[in-house]
Amino acid sequence: MRIALLALFPFVLSAADFARDVAPVLSRGGCAGCHNPNGVASGTRLKFPEEHAPTEAFGKSLYVLVNRQEPGKSLLLAKPTQRVAHAGGKRIEPGSVDEKVLREWVEYLATADLATLQVKAAASEAGPAKRALRRLTHAQYNNTMRDLLGDSSRLADSFPPEDFINGFRNQYPGQNASPMLTEAYSSAAEKLSRQAFRTGDSRNLIPCKSQDLLCRDRFLKEFGRRAFRRPLTALELTRYQKLFASEKNFYAGAQLALEAMLQSPSFLMRVEHGVAASLQGYEVASKLAYALWNSTPDEALLNAAAKGELASPAGVEKQARRLLASEKAHDAVKEFLVDWLRLDRLNGTIRERRQFPQFTPELTVAMAEESRRLAEALIWQRGNFMEFFSATYSYLNSDLAKLYGVTAPSDEYTKVELPGATERAGVLGHASFLTTTSKPAETSPTARGLFVREQFLCQEVPQPPPGVSTNLPPITKEKPVTTRERLGMHLSSPSCASCHTLIDPIGFGLEKFDAIGARREKLHVTVQPERNSKDEPANFDLELDTSGWLAGLVSTNGTSAPFNSPRELGKILAGSAQCQECVVKQAFRYLMGRHEAAADSAALERAAQEFRASGFQFPELLVSLVKWTTYPPPAPTPTAVTRN
Amino acid sequence: MASVHTKDRAVSRRLLLQGFSAMGAPITVGLPPLVAMFNSQGTAYAAAKATPPNRFVLWFNGNGVVERYWIPTETGRDFTLTPCLAPLANFRDDIHIITGLDNPAARLPGPGNDHHRSMSALMTGTSFTGRGAGGASADQVIAGKVAGDTRFRSLQIGVSQESFGESIQRNMSWAGHDRALPPEMLPHKLFDRLFGARDAGWVARKRSVLDAVQADAATLKQSLGKEDSLRVDEHLASVRDVERAIASLPPNYRKVEEPQFDGDMKDWPRIAKIQSDLLVHALASGQTKVASYMLTKCQGLTRFPWLGYTAARHHDYTHQDGKAPGGADGQRIMRDICRWHVEEFAYLVGKLKATPEGDGNLLDHTSIVFVHEHAEANDHKNNGLSVIVAGHAGGLATGRHTRHTGTIGDLYLAVANQAFGAQLKTFPSASRELMGLFG
Repeated sequence: MRIALLALFPFVLSAADFARDVAPVLSRGGCAGCHNPNGVASGTRLKFPEEHAPTEAFGKSLYVLVNRQEPGKSLLLAKPTQRVAHAGGKRIEPGSVDEKVLREWVEYLATADLATLQVKAAASEAGPAKRALRRLTHAQYNNTMRDLLGDSSRLADSFPPEDFINGFRNQYPGQNASPMLTEAYSSAAEKLSRQAFRTGDSRNLIPCKSQDLLCRDRFLKEFGRRAFRRPLTALELTRYQKLFASEKNFYAGAQLALEAMLQSPSFLMRVEHGVAASLQGYEVASKLAYALWNSTPDEALLNAAAKGELASPAGVEKQARRLLASEKAHDAVKEFLVDWLRLDRLNGTIRERRQFPQFTPELTVAMAEESRRLAEALIWQRGNFMEFFSATYSYLNSDLAKLYGVTAPSDEYTKVELPGATERAGVLGHASFLTTTSKPAETSPTARGLFVREQFLCQEVPQPPPGVSTNLPPITKEKPVTTRERLGMHLSSPSCASCHTLIDPIGFGLEKFDAIGARREKLHVTVQPERNSKDEPANFDLELDTSGWLAGLVSTNGTSAPFNSPRELGKILAGSAQCQECVVKQAFRYLMGRHEAAADSAALERAAQEFRASGFQFPELLVSLVKWTTYPPPAPTPTAVTRN
Repeated sequence: MASVHTKDRAVSRRLLLQGFSAMGAPITVGLPPLVAMFNSQGTAYAAAKATPPNRFVLWFNGNGVVERYWIPTETGRDFTLTPCLAPLANFRDDIHIITGLDNPAARLPGPGNDHHRSMSALMTGTSFTGRGAGGASADQVIAGKVAGDTRFRSLQIGVSQESFGESIQRNMSWAGHDRALPPEMLPHKLFDRLFGARDAGWVARKRSVLDAVQADAATLKQSLGKEDSLRVDEHLASVRDVERAIASLPPNYRKVEEPQFDGDMKDWPRIAKIQSDLLVHALASGQTKVASYMLTKCQGLTRFPWLGYTAARHHDYTHQDGKAPGGADGQRIMRDICRWHVEEFAYLVGKLKATPEGDGNLLDHTSIVFVHEHAEANDHKNNGLSVIVAGHAGGLATGRHTRHTGTIGDLYLAVANQAFGAQLKTFPSASRELMGLFG
């Protein structure tokens, strides 16, 4: 049979080179924009690798989308040409050369030996786990100086700012060392070491009084171990002895050594899963401390590393639980929350003053405080973290209570029940979320939808293609329309609709909440007259249609989850496996300083399982993640791909 | 008196800083004439050298322009200055207005919004990576050719402090793929880098510390794989840059007390001028030959209280065209905002021109290229860019407005080769040197 087919399709089998011919067709179609592990189409069977260009093996894995009986009806061909319904719209023109190339590949897959394809496809899966050389974040630098030197001057606050990558400021790919940052490290080290030894040993860093060679070496070894989070090597010790000895005065020598240590890459950076096996325990200690404390390991943790107690998942778990019981863990979690919820964006937000006279910088502080307090209460009181989306109570001060139209609590930021009529629940009803996703004068259902997709469902939505006008149709006096109606353009234009059907309808369901998160029953629109015209501005109160839906969310009742308010959306999210897994992923990204890779899937699945089993206790998630990312569990047995 | 010595004469630190320590005073920026930069004969600082070197400044401000208020109607020599360009009236013969340039790399498919994509393409001719620019920026390419033994390979200077933005929005200079070089936005820190005084022995001491740091890095590298070891290399290169900056401090630097900095960090017109003054000092004293100057950020959100516009921010105004809530005045307000940008640009041009050097002035040996991330701001247009080239380095053809069909890369290529003898064969997105810019 195969021989016969070879004879029939000699051209197809010899000429089809996936990487050379077919991958560019899929690239032009923009398929990978949605069909990737974090794309809006991640739930479908087409999933492009994120870490590298699609390979021959990936091309062969596409056999699952081929109809071997009727190749022409294969989903791989019918979806992108929109011969069958495709949420992403028409990506490849029917009858085009691109379609011809893809059709040849489909026909090849339909005829190739199935067992061979399955073997090849398996090869396209997981690669090796990534190691990372991570630099201390600015917050970690500050905390480390606090714990190492007793210095709380937070010098890193004035370092060049860090960038948000993958939604966090601590991500490995963004940590490059510009000369300016290196210079900042250098001046900070100079300042801190000067302060430490200006008047003798003012920070009690030297463990002995004798000021002799013995004492010098004891200081270098003991302090060096704390600074580098591992014992110094013999070579390093000699280097620092030499540096120390270049000054005649004992304290001046100590100052010089300290200044160098504080800008050494062995201090500023840390290796995770390095090659030197003997150091592994110390690397784990650093990882745990920076993940759960955002600071340097304490003596107990370094000792545990020295004794080999971190060499097992159980040992890691024991220390993780100890660290989480300390106040220092609250700092680390706070930073996670600020980044994940982009609470930084509230700082400096402005609003049209005539429209929002109650909007003040103090109010934005209260907004951030509310979201942080709800999350922290759930985390540290060991509640169900998914209530962050569905809680029908909140933590308000009197300004926020006024904004929400509820009775103010007797004490600022104490727990307040939110009546059903407010339709608020969880973070989706928080002014922080509703404000950071709005423009100065109006809401943006698009920004709200995007935020939900990206932050809460971990789905990356492709950006509009270059050169597309993103201006919406004007509002005129003759035809005043709501934001929803103006955005309707997105949904009626095929090129916009492919993405905006996934985004805007989420925001539509939140339209009863204005650009500062206050409730409104109608949309007030003012149409300004033409310049030089004597007309008065025209005012309208328009009815709001708040029917929204979450297209493509895997749910029990079909493909689109409908809702009308933050409370209903929160309930959907809290119960959605996608959202639960996204919390796991976001915590992973923050703890590991990078995006998850194929090799992390076993650790992530295990952590998600344990998170669920604990009733969604966030500290349990942290324990699971540090444990299973350090000692990955065996990969789950591959299951047949059946999800649609 | 606390003082800093450059060459033989003292420049009072207080004097240098008073322009922004006295709040509310009229804007007479406190930098003295460059007396300390002159040699003992009273001629210019660099007069000892036969020909002063050429300097390059890449100047940027965020968002785009309103073309009808910016682009002159006529081309050639007899063009009328538009409302936005009016502040350059005194410098007609020092500038060349270029319009119509394309920024084709902004249209390549890839991650990011229009601003991200345009910014990466504008500075480097390459696509946005999702994190940063895809390659080295034009200023860094030129620095690679001309920096030589200057104290700083290049300087990155910024003004507007608003916190908004990702890496691609906050940085205009890129050492390479995803390697941002952040601008120094604080005048007192910039001052410290350039003129900060040090006590005797400080340099030697600092070098011994940095030597130990480099040795540590070399040890660490041995235990790492390739990708991580490249990361340590990058760190090492930065340490070497810092060491070079320290090692080439003029020998007669003296200790200076910390500045009492109480400036209003939102008073951007004033800070812009102080930063320009410091830049002129840095160029005049030969500390660097290449700089970038970021007046406001990409997709910038600056507010403009001194212009009387406080209802919204820069980017908001670019899209206020009367078709959306927020008012119809955005385009007219943008006219005034763009004029402010040009005012600050003209200030730098004027300062360079007023600084004697050799037989002429610093502007004779400088090339400044002024760019925006977009052409027409409201449409996020990235063809038809409006660029100003100023300064006479390389024999700029001045006093004219020319419409071109080339790319921004073509312009960088012409500047790099004609004004700096860089002998570049190409620049990403360039096809050939822009004609008619020089000579």
